[in-house]
Amino acid sequence: MNFTLFAPEILLTVLAFVIILMGLLVNDKSKNMLGYLSAAGLLASIVYLVGNGMTGKTSYFYDSLVVDPLSQVFKLIFIIVSIIAVIASIEYFKNNRNQDEYYALLLLSTVGMMVVASANDLISLFVGFELASMSTYVLAGFEKKNPASLEAALKYFIIGSLSSALMLFGMSIVYGMTGSTNIPAIIEFFKVTHLSAESSLGILAMVFLVAGFGFKMAIVPFHMWAPDTYEGSPSVVSALLAAGSKKMGFVAAFRVLILALVAIKVDIQYTFAILAILTMSYGNIVAISQRSIKRMLAYSSIAQAGYISLAFVVMTQMSIAGGVLLALGHALMKAGAFIAVAVVGYMVLNDNKNAKNSDDIGNFAGLGKRAPITAFSLFIFFLALAGIPPSAGFIGKFVLFYSITVEALTPATSWLLIIVIIAILNSALSIYYYARVIRYMYVLPPNGETIREPAPYVVAMLIAVIGTIGIGLYPEPFVQMAINAAHVLGV
Amino acid sequence: MFSEFAALIVLLPVIAFVLTLFLGKKLYSGGALLPIAAIAGSFIISVGIFFEIFPNDGMVQQSFPWFAGMNIGILIDPLAIVMLMMVTFVSLLIHIYAVGYMSHDPAKPRYFAETSLFTAAMLSVILSDNILQFFISWELVGLCSFLLIGFWYHKPSAAAAAKKAFLVTRVGDVLFLAGIVLLYVNMKLLIDNGTLVVESQSFILQFRTMFEAIPLMDGTQLTYITLLFFGGAIGKSGQFPLHGWLPDAMEGPTTVSALIHAATMVTAGVYLVARTFPMFVATPSTISAGVPDSLLIVTYVGGFTALFAATMGLVMNDIKRVLAYSTVSQLGYMMLALGTAGTVLGAKAVGISMFHLISHAFFKALLFLCAGSVIHAVGTNDIREMGGLFSKMKITATTMLIAALALAGFGLPFEGLGMPIMNIGTAGFFSKDAIIEGAMEYGEVTHDMIPYGFAVIAALLTSIYIFRLWFMTFTGKPRSERHSHESPGVMTGPLMILAIFALLFGFSQAGFYGYVEKNFELMDVNIAVHEGEAFHPSALVILLPVIVGVLGLLISYLIYNKRIIDMSKLVSAGNPIYKLLLNRYYEPKLGANIIGVKLTHDVVAQSGEFIDRKIIDGLVIDNIISNTLLKLGEIVRKLQTGVVQNYASVTIFGVALLLIILRLIFGGT
Repeated sequence: MNFTLFAPEILLTVLAFVIILMGLLVNDKSKNMLGYLSAAGLLASIVYLVGNGMTGKTSYFYDSLVVDPLSQVFKLIFIIVSIIAVIASIEYFKNNRNQDEYYALLLLSTVGMMVVASANDLISLFVGFELASMSTYVLAGFEKKNPASLEAALKYFIIGSLSSALMLFGMSIVYGMTGSTNIPAIIEFFKVTHLSAESSLGILAMVFLVAGFGFKMAIVPFHMWAPDTYEGSPSVVSALLAAGSKKMGFVAAFRVLILALVAIKVDIQYTFAILAILTMSYGNIVAISQRSIKRMLAYSSIAQAGYISLAFVVMTQMSIAGGVLLALGHALMKAGAFIAVAVVGYMVLNDNKNAKNSDDIGNFAGLGKRAPITAFSLFIFFLALAGIPPSAGFIGKFVLFYSITVEALTPATSWLLIIVIIAILNSALSIYYYARVIRYMYVLPPNGETIREPAPYVVAMLIAVIGTIGIGLYPEPFVQMAINAAHVLGV
Repeated sequence: MFSEFAALIVLLPVIAFVLTLFLGKKLYSGGALLPIAAIAGSFIISVGIFFEIFPNDGMVQQSFPWFAGMNIGILIDPLAIVMLMMVTFVSLLIHIYAVGYMSHDPAKPRYFAETSLFTAAMLSVILSDNILQFFISWELVGLCSFLLIGFWYHKPSAAAAAKKAFLVTRVGDVLFLAGIVLLYVNMKLLIDNGTLVVESQSFILQFRTMFEAIPLMDGTQLTYITLLFFGGAIGKSGQFPLHGWLPDAMEGPTTVSALIHAATMVTAGVYLVARTFPMFVATPSTISAGVPDSLLIVTYVGGFTALFAATMGLVMNDIKRVLAYSTVSQLGYMMLALGTAGTVLGAKAVGISMFHLISHAFFKALLFLCAGSVIHAVGTNDIREMGGLFSKMKITATTMLIAALALAGFGLPFEGLGMPIMNIGTAGFFSKDAIIEGAMEYGEVTHDMIPYGFAVIAALLTSIYIFRLWFMTFTGKPRSERHSHESPGVMTGPLMILAIFALLFGFSQAGFYGYVEKNFELMDVNIAVHEGEAFHPSALVILLPVIVGVLGLLISYLIYNKRIIDMSKLVSAGNPIYKLLLNRYYEPKLGANIIGVKLTHDVVAQSGEFIDRKIIDGLVIDNIISNTLLKLGEIVRKLQTGVVQNYASVTIFGVALLLIILRLIFGGT
């Protein structure tokens, strides 16, 4: 068997073990190089990934894993986010004696997410899910001496386990109904037999799966852990969670739910519409009153999950492409924004070693003067998150909203227009809290010296800025990529 | 070889913009050398491309797909290359001059970064090969203009002028955008029903495709589209009734006025009409026989603006404002040329108009830079406080005289009078005479002499106001105690170079017409030319522009230098015409009070506020929506208790709720 298509995963797994081994051998001071090593490995894997091409479909291991355009797009997202997080971590965890474990776990969680992207079987899906989750539980609590970090990790772990249990329960019901764990086989079963998901068992399975995926996606009402965890975790880990691990929930949902829903033609649009609207409105409304920027970003990422979930409402090729595009854009913007917050934290701790709440909005006053590159990058991310062109955020929202509007033109589904209007109003509302931070950064006077922004942070943010603007300026190949990915789902 | 680097023409100034913005503080003279080097590079590439494509009537075309059937591309045809060379050249000289002029300003990096970005945007307008990219660059030009007019943003008048310019040109931009949308819809219809085929290497909204679609399109639609485009041109080129922002824009540094509000940006409107000229020519004639509707409107708007602005130029006392009105007036001439000559001579009109555009760019940039030199020396804009500067500023005075002669169109039309000697004259003589003759011919063909009247009277007024300016500034006795001195070499150098062009550029007339005329042939567009009977203007017609020019000089000389005619009686006696002109036809007041305060604020904004406050907020308690949102946020935030047991309960509750909802939807089995 030819494993070239899995070269990125294999490379990262081997690298994770090599890093653990090296951590045993080298002294604490030399551990700083492990970050560079991880970054190099991730870069190599992205080269492999792109080299493998974004089209074509091959299945492996008795059809339990597939490599197709959908998996490739999401793997691209996961690796880019990991690169951004790893580069920033070089500075964030500088001189930390447990760096080896940190990088190994980060790489393993990336591999987990990539396995989920490729999963074609409920078992491999669950294994990937757990690999990514377990690693990130530890990462969230990586600042052992910081109670907030520990609390974040514990909450994340408890709610995560609950969700995993629900998901596993849902999967076992599906297995019980169909006698198979292979996703295409399950779909086929539902198509042939008329045992529909409208049965009580079917509904139960579907709700449990939604709960399991919804936990990762952080959609209401499975979002409760997200603000606490994003706020308490180290900023670089928050970036990974919000930008990467969240998308794992989406790719799983695309793979399982959309296929299932298309196959059995169940009309649960309304349910997803309500969930999406609730999620985006809740995220945006609560974000308004936050003073902690990390919390604000957490709620804004809940809101973004709401937008992406709109793809489940109409399930046309265009809307799924829009969801994929927005997921890609959100990964870049959100990862970059969390890194920018990390720079502010660095800045505040520079002023005062014992500072608390380094991400309080007050610390962003005059950031345009104190840390110009960070402020400018954050400015770009916020505009992009608010969906202002030319940015990845705009392209994603545009394609998504446009696809729903097109559907709304059919009289039978004209109610979708209301959804679009609510989504656009939500976008407008979000400008309020983004603009507030921008005002702090550029209008209010600075309360400290100008700092020298550490190079790793700058590089990480610039990657995200270039990606965000680049997709906005030249969307064609990315739109094509997203459409190819949506095509896989056969809608 | 140069053609392959065409993209660098735009990219070099963009790179200079980024570098100057971030590193300018640390470099010599606020990083002025970066934009200068970049624009010099663009100039060299432009000239190189010119020499590559000129001998064999070639064009440079590069394009690659962008998104949704649109593209980004470069089109360098004769029309574009002459503009490219002019803009890079004038911009280069002005940047060099600015090193001296801005030497005392602490915000130099910002200045040079912004002018560099402006140059890039303008160049991108010129070499766009599709109307969408054209529009995006056009907007960027507008943004830079806003930033530069408000460069001294701490001055309230500058901030207000920047705002005014932005808002007024925005009116035009909205029309332009509406035109593009309408065009797109029409073309999409043609493509959908199969009449228009877009080939594999072409794109919708590319100029070439647009021109292909002209014969297929409905005539009325075409009129709407072109008039909307012309609306954009009116805003950008300061034509009546959107001319008010341009004189106010003089609040920026004089170099900005020279660069943006004289030589380059304001010509973008004329360039737009010239670029889409085949569409204007193709509009049906319903108002006046033989005259395409859109061209008729272009003619009248241009002609009226030429005259209207010249009358206000007569009485302004701010040296830059006189020049600003003169710019508005000359842009009117360019529009007039497109309209009149376009009707009778077809594609040649583009040559005539562009020739005036470029010769105007030289002498108007020169006039502004001279004015800048004077202001730099005496520290005031008011010509009533100047006088007698000739002996102190010989270079400035001489170069400005050359520019004034060019603006007034001085020259000797030997050829036209049948003498075997070639015409001799300034750039303005060659370019403006052609326009006036075109208007005459238009009158002969259509029996409508009004545009010709506009052109001739405006020419007389032009001559009067520009020599008034020159006499009041440089001759007579100093009217105030000011220490004045000649400007440094870095400033007078560009003056002399521009003066040479203002004097000699006119001799390239025949070659220029021949080259630019071919533009639309190269684009495979046929422009129908109305063959009137052979036109042989009488000697009087040929001499008239020169006669009115000399007459204007004479009148100014008598009034402002010899003081034989006492102006004070005319101007101070509460003369209503003088007051009308000095108050600029009450346009700022009308604009500000009627449209701004009465209509926009009192009617629209107040009623909006009424609805907002009394109806939306008043029906319910104060600010109910925003307060509710904030309160809701607070309440929901409290749900986030931080207790993990609650989180788990919510999750389970959510699952249960979903189950119940789905159960209700599907019923039970």
